[in-house]
Amino acid sequence: MPITIPKSILLAPKIPSIAVVGLLAAQLIVLNFLNSPEPTCTLVVERPHHSTSVKERQNLDSIKLNITSKCTAPQEYTRVTARIQKLQNDREVTVSNFLSRTANSTARVPSEATFRNLFTECKFGDEAAYRGSAEGYVMLKGGKKVKVTGNSGKYEVANCSIGAQ
Amino acid sequence: MSYFEECLRLGEWLSEADRRALYRYLLESNKINYGVQANLLLKDSTLSKKIANGEILYSLINNQVTFAARRIGSEDFTPDIRTIGLTGLRFVDLWRLEKFFAQSEVDVIQNFPLLGENQQSEGGFGVDAYPYYTLAYYADGRNYLKGLIKKLTTNDSEILTKLRAL
Repeated sequence: MPITIPKSILLAPKIPSIAVVGLLAAQLIVLNFLNSPEPTCTLVVERPHHSTSVKERQNLDSIKLNITSKCTAPQEYTRVTARIQKLQNDREVTVSNFLSRTANSTARVPSEATFRNLFTECKFGDEAAYRGSAEGYVMLKGGKKVKVTGNSGKYEVANCSIGAQ
Repeated sequence: MSYFEECLRLGEWLSEADRRALYRYLLESNKINYGVQANLLLKDSTLSKKIANGEILYSLINNQVTFAARRIGSEDFTPDIRTIGLTGLRFVDLWRLEKFFAQSEVDVIQNFPLLGENQQSEGGFGVDAYPYYTLAYYADGRNYLKGLIKKLTTNDSEILTKLRAL
Protein backbone atom coordinates (compact mmCIF):
# COMPACT_ATOMS: atom_id res chain seq x y z
CA MET A 1 0.00 0.00 0.00
CA PRO A 2 1.55 3.26 -1.07
CA ILE A 3 2.19 5.82 1.55
CA THR A 4 1.00 9.29 0.65
CA ILE A 5 2.69 12.06 2.45
CA PRO A 6 0.34 15.04 2.70
CA LYS A 7 1.74 18.23 1.19
CA SER A 8 2.29 20.78 3.85
CA ILE A 9 0.03 23.73 3.42
CA LEU A 10 3.04 25.90 4.25
CA LEU A 11 4.80 24.73 1.11
CA ALA A 12 1.89 25.35 -1.22
CA PRO A 13 2.16 28.86 -2.74
CA LYS A 14 -0.78 31.06 -1.87
CA ILE A 15 0.04 33.58 -4.64
CA PRO A 16 0.61 32.18 -8.11
CA SER A 17 4.19 32.64 -9.26
CA ILE A 18 3.07 34.60 -12.34
CA ALA A 19 1.52 37.18 -10.04
CA VAL A 20 4.78 37.44 -8.06
CA VAL A 21 6.73 38.09 -11.24
CA GLY A 22 4.13 40.65 -12.28
CA LEU A 23 4.33 42.46 -8.95
CA LEU A 24 8.13 42.56 -9.10
CA ALA A 25 8.00 43.98 -12.60
CA ALA A 26 5.44 46.58 -11.54
CA GLN A 27 7.63 47.56 -8.59
CA LEU A 28 10.60 47.94 -10.89
CA ILE A 29 8.65 50.18 -13.24
CA VAL A 30 7.32 52.36 -10.40
CA LEU A 31 10.76 52.70 -8.83
CA ASN A 32 12.28 53.51 -12.19
CA PHE A 33 9.61 56.16 -12.81
CA LEU A 34 10.12 57.70 -9.38
CA ASN A 35 13.88 57.79 -9.79
CA SER A 36 13.89 59.26 -13.31
CA PRO A 37 14.50 63.01 -13.07
CA GLU A 38 11.71 65.40 -13.99
CA PRO A 39 12.55 67.50 -17.04
CA THR A 40 13.89 70.89 -16.05
CA CYS A 41 14.29 74.08 -18.04
CA THR A 42 16.45 77.14 -17.56
CA LEU A 43 16.19 80.58 -19.10
CA VAL A 44 19.54 81.98 -20.19
CA VAL A 45 19.30 85.76 -20.38
CA GLU A 46 22.40 87.28 -21.91
CA ARG A 47 23.79 90.66 -20.92
CA PRO A 48 22.00 93.51 -22.75
CA HIS A 49 24.49 94.95 -25.24
CA HIS A 50 24.79 97.64 -27.88
CA SER A 51 23.99 95.75 -31.06
CA THR A 52 26.29 96.26 -34.01
CA SER A 53 24.14 93.95 -36.11
CA VAL A 54 21.02 96.11 -35.69
CA LYS A 55 23.15 99.16 -36.46
CA GLU A 56 24.40 97.56 -39.66
CA ARG A 57 20.99 96.41 -40.85
CA GLN A 58 18.63 99.08 -39.58
CA ASN A 59 21.10 101.94 -39.02
CA LEU A 60 19.67 102.08 -35.54
CA ASP A 61 21.54 102.28 -32.25
CA SER A 62 19.93 99.79 -29.96
CA ILE A 63 20.37 97.68 -26.88
CA LYS A 64 19.70 94.04 -27.64
CA LEU A 65 18.74 91.18 -25.38
CA ASN A 66 19.30 87.56 -26.37
CA ILE A 67 17.42 84.84 -24.54
CA THR A 68 17.52 81.06 -24.83
CA SER A 69 15.44 78.51 -22.99
CA LYS A 70 17.18 75.18 -22.46
CA CYS A 71 15.49 72.04 -21.24
CA THR A 72 16.54 68.53 -20.40
CA ALA A 73 13.72 67.23 -22.63
CA PRO A 74 12.38 68.19 -26.06
CA GLN A 75 10.11 71.23 -26.04
CA GLU A 76 7.33 72.51 -28.30
CA TYR A 77 7.84 76.19 -27.64
CA THR A 78 8.74 78.80 -25.06
CA ARG A 79 6.85 81.96 -24.21
CA VAL A 80 8.63 84.81 -22.44
CA THR A 81 8.04 88.35 -21.33
CA ALA A 82 11.31 90.23 -21.13
CA ARG A 83 12.50 93.62 -19.97
CA ILE A 84 15.63 95.69 -19.72
CA GLN A 85 16.37 97.58 -16.54
CA LYS A 86 18.77 100.45 -16.17
CA LEU A 87 20.53 101.88 -13.14
CA GLN A 88 19.56 105.49 -12.76
CA ASN A 89 20.54 107.49 -9.68
CA ASP A 90 21.17 104.18 -7.87
CA ARG A 91 17.66 103.03 -8.65
CA GLU A 92 16.49 100.28 -10.98
CA VAL A 93 14.32 101.68 -13.75
CA THR A 94 12.62 99.51 -16.37
CA VAL A 95 13.47 101.14 -19.67
CA SER A 96 12.14 98.53 -22.02
CA ASN A 97 9.20 96.19 -21.59
CA PHE A 98 9.03 93.80 -24.50
CA LEU A 99 5.72 92.31 -25.50
CA SER A 100 5.40 88.58 -24.93
CA ARG A 101 6.99 86.42 -27.60
CA THR A 102 6.88 82.74 -28.36
CA ALA A 103 9.58 80.73 -30.10
CA ASN A 104 9.44 77.16 -31.29
CA SER A 105 12.30 74.76 -30.82
CA THR A 106 14.06 73.50 -33.92
CA ALA A 107 14.34 69.98 -35.25
CA ARG A 108 18.11 70.31 -34.90
CA VAL A 109 18.01 71.29 -31.20
CA PRO A 110 14.56 70.25 -29.93
CA SER A 111 15.36 71.07 -26.32
CA GLU A 112 16.07 74.77 -26.96
CA ALA A 113 14.24 77.87 -28.15
CA THR A 114 15.92 81.18 -28.86
CA PHE A 115 14.76 84.79 -28.86
CA ARG A 116 16.88 87.05 -30.99
CA ASN A 117 14.83 90.07 -31.90
CA LEU A 118 14.41 91.83 -28.60
CA PHE A 119 15.98 95.23 -29.06
CA THR A 120 15.16 98.80 -28.21
CA GLU A 121 16.48 102.10 -29.51
CA CYS A 122 19.12 103.97 -27.54
CA LYS A 123 21.23 107.10 -27.75
CA PHE A 124 24.78 106.19 -28.63
CA GLY A 125 27.57 107.85 -26.64
CA ASP A 126 25.76 108.03 -23.30
CA GLU A 127 26.83 105.29 -20.92
CA ALA A 128 24.32 103.34 -18.87
CA ALA A 129 24.30 100.12 -16.86
CA TYR A 130 21.75 97.48 -17.84
CA ARG A 131 20.39 94.18 -16.74
CA GLY A 132 17.98 91.94 -18.62
CA SER A 133 15.34 89.74 -17.08
CA ALA A 134 12.55 87.53 -18.32
CA GLU A 135 9.97 85.06 -17.21
CA GLY A 136 7.54 82.76 -18.89
CA TYR A 137 7.03 79.09 -19.50
CA VAL A 138 8.16 76.23 -21.64
CA MET A 139 5.66 73.84 -23.20
CA LEU A 140 7.37 70.50 -23.36
CA LYS A 141 6.56 67.90 -25.97
CA GLY A 142 3.81 65.86 -24.35
CA GLY A 143 2.06 68.91 -22.94
CA LYS A 144 3.87 69.53 -19.65
CA LYS A 145 4.29 73.21 -18.79
CA VAL A 146 7.43 74.35 -16.95
CA LYS A 147 7.70 77.86 -15.55
CA VAL A 148 10.99 79.63 -16.22
CA THR A 149 12.61 82.80 -15.04
CA GLY A 150 16.05 84.29 -15.48
CA ASN A 151 18.18 87.40 -15.54
CA SER A 152 21.52 88.47 -16.89
CA GLY A 153 23.09 88.94 -13.44
CA LYS A 154 24.81 92.10 -12.39
CA TYR A 155 24.37 95.42 -14.15
CA GLU A 156 26.83 96.00 -16.97
CA VAL A 157 27.67 99.19 -18.74
CA ALA A 158 26.94 99.84 -22.41
CA ASN A 159 27.82 102.95 -24.34
CA CYS A 160 24.27 103.70 -25.34
CA SER A 161 21.41 105.01 -23.25
CA ILE A 162 17.74 104.05 -23.46
CA GLY A 163 15.28 106.70 -22.34
CA ALA A 164 12.75 105.69 -19.68
CA GLN A 165 9.45 104.30 -21.05
CA MET B 1 14.66 99.49 -53.08
CA SER B 2 11.40 100.43 -51.33
CA TYR B 3 11.10 100.14 -47.58
CA PHE B 4 8.64 97.30 -48.02
CA GLU B 5 11.22 95.37 -50.07
CA GLU B 6 13.76 96.14 -47.36
CA CYS B 7 11.36 94.73 -44.74
CA LEU B 8 11.11 91.51 -46.72
CA ARG B 9 14.87 91.14 -46.21
CA LEU B 10 15.16 92.30 -42.59
CA GLY B 11 13.64 89.25 -40.92
CA GLU B 12 14.55 89.12 -37.26
CA TRP B 13 15.91 92.65 -37.45
CA LEU B 14 12.42 94.10 -37.83
CA SER B 15 11.55 96.09 -34.74
CA GLU B 16 8.26 95.85 -32.86
CA ALA B 17 7.06 99.04 -34.55
CA ASP B 18 8.17 97.77 -37.98
CA ARG B 19 6.19 94.58 -37.54
CA ARG B 20 3.08 96.42 -36.43
CA ALA B 21 3.30 98.90 -39.29
CA LEU B 22 3.96 96.09 -41.75
CA TYR B 23 0.78 94.39 -40.57
CA ARG B 24 -1.27 97.53 -41.17
CA TYR B 25 0.37 98.09 -44.53
CA LEU B 26 -0.31 94.52 -45.71
CA LEU B 27 -3.90 94.76 -44.53
CA GLU B 28 -4.61 97.96 -46.44
CA SER B 29 -2.65 97.13 -49.59
CA ASN B 30 -3.85 93.53 -50.00
CA LYS B 31 -7.50 93.97 -49.13
CA ILE B 32 -8.78 92.70 -52.49
CA ASN B 33 -6.31 89.79 -52.63
CA TYR B 34 -7.13 88.76 -49.09
CA GLY B 35 -10.84 88.75 -49.94
CA VAL B 36 -10.23 86.38 -52.84
CA GLN B 37 -7.96 84.18 -50.72
CA ALA B 38 -10.48 84.07 -47.88
CA ASN B 39 -13.20 82.90 -50.26
CA LEU B 40 -10.89 80.20 -51.61
CA LEU B 41 -10.05 79.04 -48.11
CA LEU B 42 -13.71 78.90 -47.09
CA LYS B 43 -14.51 76.92 -50.25
CA ASP B 44 -11.58 74.47 -50.22
CA SER B 45 -10.74 74.41 -46.48
CA THR B 46 -7.08 74.78 -47.37
CA LEU B 47 -4.92 77.47 -48.92
CA SER B 48 -1.23 77.79 -49.62
CA LYS B 49 0.69 80.93 -50.48
CA LYS B 50 4.19 82.35 -50.48
CA ILE B 51 5.65 85.52 -49.02
CA ALA B 52 9.32 86.52 -48.76
CA ASN B 53 11.20 83.21 -48.42
CA GLY B 54 8.36 81.36 -46.74
CA GLU B 55 5.34 79.31 -47.62
CA ILE B 56 2.16 79.48 -45.54
CA LEU B 57 -0.38 76.70 -45.31
CA TYR B 58 -3.84 77.55 -43.96
CA SER B 59 -6.25 74.85 -42.89
CA LEU B 60 -9.90 75.18 -41.97
CA ILE B 61 -11.17 72.49 -39.62
CA ASN B 62 -14.32 72.74 -37.49
CA ASN B 63 -14.66 76.51 -37.91
CA GLN B 64 -11.03 77.02 -36.82
CA VAL B 65 -8.44 78.32 -39.22
CA THR B 66 -4.80 77.59 -38.43
CA PHE B 67 -1.59 78.33 -40.23
CA ALA B 68 1.74 76.59 -40.40
CA ALA B 69 4.79 77.72 -42.37
CA ARG B 70 8.03 76.54 -43.82
CA ARG B 71 11.04 78.03 -45.53
CA ILE B 72 10.74 77.72 -49.31
CA GLY B 73 12.59 74.59 -50.32
CA SER B 74 12.29 73.03 -46.89
CA GLU B 75 10.28 69.84 -46.39
CA ASP B 76 8.85 70.31 -42.93
CA PHE B 77 6.17 72.73 -41.88
CA THR B 78 6.20 74.25 -38.42
CA PRO B 79 3.52 73.13 -35.99
CA ASP B 80 0.40 75.32 -36.16
CA ILE B 81 1.46 78.83 -35.26
CA ARG B 82 -1.84 80.63 -34.79
CA THR B 83 -5.54 79.85 -34.78
CA ILE B 84 -8.59 81.99 -35.39
CA GLY B 85 -12.18 80.98 -34.86
CA LEU B 86 -14.87 81.58 -37.46
CA THR B 87 -18.41 82.59 -36.63
CA GLY B 88 -20.36 81.23 -39.60
CA LEU B 89 -21.34 84.78 -40.58
CA ARG B 90 -19.62 85.18 -43.93
CA PHE B 91 -18.90 88.92 -43.83
CA VAL B 92 -17.49 88.66 -40.29
CA ASP B 93 -15.36 85.67 -41.23
CA LEU B 94 -13.99 87.37 -44.34
CA TRP B 95 -13.06 90.37 -42.24
CA ARG B 96 -11.39 88.12 -39.64
CA LEU B 97 -9.52 86.15 -42.25
CA GLU B 98 -8.12 89.30 -43.85
CA LYS B 99 -6.54 90.21 -40.51
CA PHE B 100 -5.35 86.68 -39.99
CA PHE B 101 -3.68 86.67 -43.42
CA ALA B 102 -1.86 89.95 -42.74
CA GLN B 103 -0.75 88.68 -39.34
CA SER B 104 0.54 85.39 -40.72
CA GLU B 105 2.46 87.17 -43.46
CA VAL B 106 4.23 89.39 -40.92
CA ASP B 107 5.02 86.29 -38.86
CA VAL B 108 6.53 84.59 -41.90
CA ILE B 109 8.44 87.64 -43.14
CA GLN B 110 10.21 87.97 -39.80
CA ASN B 111 11.17 84.31 -39.76
CA PHE B 112 11.82 83.54 -43.42
CA PRO B 113 13.05 86.77 -45.01
CA LEU B 114 14.29 87.00 -48.57
CA LEU B 115 17.85 85.87 -48.84
CA GLY B 116 20.29 88.73 -48.77
CA GLU B 117 23.03 90.29 -46.78
CA ASN B 118 21.08 90.05 -43.51
CA GLN B 119 22.27 86.82 -42.05
CA GLN B 120 19.65 85.35 -39.75
CA SER B 121 20.52 83.46 -36.61
CA GLU B 122 19.48 79.84 -36.43
CA GLY B 123 16.46 79.35 -34.29
CA GLY B 124 12.89 78.21 -34.20
CA PHE B 125 9.90 80.09 -35.52
CA GLY B 126 9.38 83.10 -33.23
CA VAL B 127 6.38 85.41 -33.14
CA ASP B 128 4.67 87.96 -30.95
CA ALA B 129 2.54 85.95 -28.57
CA TYR B 130 -0.62 87.96 -29.24
CA PRO B 131 -1.78 88.88 -32.74
CA TYR B 132 -1.85 92.56 -33.68
CA TYR B 133 -5.59 92.52 -34.35
CA THR B 134 -6.40 91.83 -30.70
CA LEU B 135 -6.41 94.14 -27.72
CA ALA B 136 -4.42 91.43 -25.94
CA TYR B 137 -1.42 92.46 -28.05
CA TYR B 138 -1.49 96.02 -26.77
CA ALA B 139 -2.33 94.85 -23.24
CA ASP B 140 0.24 92.05 -23.45
CA GLY B 141 -2.49 89.74 -22.23
CA ARG B 142 -3.18 91.72 -19.07
CA ASN B 143 -5.26 94.85 -18.50
CA TYR B 144 -7.39 95.40 -21.59
CA LEU B 145 -8.30 98.96 -20.64
CA LYS B 146 -4.61 99.84 -20.58
CA GLY B 147 -4.33 97.93 -23.86
CA LEU B 148 -7.05 100.06 -25.41
CA ILE B 149 -5.29 103.23 -24.29
CA LYS B 150 -2.01 101.94 -25.66
CA LYS B 151 -3.64 101.05 -28.95
CA LEU B 152 -5.11 104.52 -29.28
CA THR B 153 -1.80 106.16 -28.47
CA THR B 154 0.40 103.90 -30.60
CA ASN B 155 1.51 105.81 -33.65
CA ASP B 156 3.32 103.97 -36.41
CA SER B 157 2.45 106.55 -39.07
CA GLU B 158 6.09 107.38 -39.81
CA ILE B 159 6.91 103.78 -40.75
CA LEU B 160 3.58 103.39 -42.54
CA THR B 161 4.41 106.42 -44.69
CA LYS B 162 7.78 104.83 -45.52
CA LEU B 163 6.03 101.58 -46.44
CA ARG B 164 3.48 103.31 -48.66
CA ALA B 165 6.19 105.14 -50.60
CA LEU B 166 7.15 103.03 -53.60
